[in-house]
Amino acid sequence: MKLRNRASGSRIAVDMTPMIDVVFQLLIFFMCTLKMIEPEGDFDISMPLGAPMADSVTDAELPPFKVRMEADANGELVNLSFNGENLGGGLGAISSLNSKVFRSITALQAIGSDQLEKQEVEIDPDYNLNYRYIINAIGACSGRVGQNGVHIPYLQRIKFAPIRQKQ
Amino acid sequence: MKFKPANVSVPEIDMTPMIDIVFQLITFFMVITNFDQNEADERVTLPRDQLAKPPMAVRKNSFMLNFGYDIDSTGKRKSEIPYLFFGDEKATLEQVRPRLQQESQFYKTIGTKYEDVTVEIRADARVPAGMVQELIQMCQEDKIQFQRFALKATQKAEP
Repeated sequence: MKLRNRASGSRIAVDMTPMIDVVFQLLIFFMCTLKMIEPEGDFDISMPLGAPMADSVTDAELPPFKVRMEADANGELVNLSFNGENLGGGLGAISSLNSKVFRSITALQAIGSDQLEKQEVEIDPDYNLNYRYIINAIGACSGRVGQNGVHIPYLQRIKFAPIRQKQ
Repeated sequence: MKFKPANVSVPEIDMTPMIDIVFQLITFFMVITNFDQNEADERVTLPRDQLAKPPMAVRKNSFMLNFGYDIDSTGKRKSEIPYLFFGDEKATLEQVRPRLQQESQFYKTIGTKYEDVTVEIRADARVPAGMVQELIQMCQEDKIQFQRFALKATQKAEP
């Protein structure tokens, strides 16, 4: 059988105009809806706040680690204490807190690895303390970033103490 | 004087490279567009922490509370009172209770247990800590009863 030579046929001109129109519409839509948002993460706070609820039974055998945070009139952190030990103020105190927590969990691991999961931290801030210090303190208690950006977890059970009165 | 007739043949432009680039751009914008974070309010400046990590799995039942300051076009605070933002509407901490009750009623109606609902709190870094505590406490009141909370932060180290 003899086949026709297909290559000899004339080229069909495709009208690209509607496609280009639509493609530009899409491009403009995506450009306009673009919002540059920095990646967000979060910390889980699953414990009830302060006053224990009747049905919340805690299986922690040891008392919670107490993190007390005092603020000045502008809401800046002036004094941070961990289990009664004064660590100073500002962001330096947050990194001291991180190393104190690390020492405490090393001692806990010696007792038993399940203790670490049960151990609670109670954060007790002044009313007017800036919220960013709370996040910093929660971060310092929940772990640290090791080499190569690996997250090394410390404590996961974080709760708040009862609210302090406005000063 | 006699003019030559205009040349009627249209010069052919090769559109292929342009279409290639435009498709590349569309693909780029489609990939980086994040429709999930539409609930996030731009007026809230989140605190920063390196350890804030995104949830392992997408939360099925969660709602977001944006708690921050009303700002003008230059980014300055209009007032010292923080508000909870719900799109174009805003409410002070004292005014937000009915909304939380509504939200709670909604989850009750659809039959979701309160322990499965996560309240995501996007609070501004400058909001007093006591107010965030009050907000959490309000979410745990008898008529609201939410139990799980997630505090949002930007995944970056403090400068």
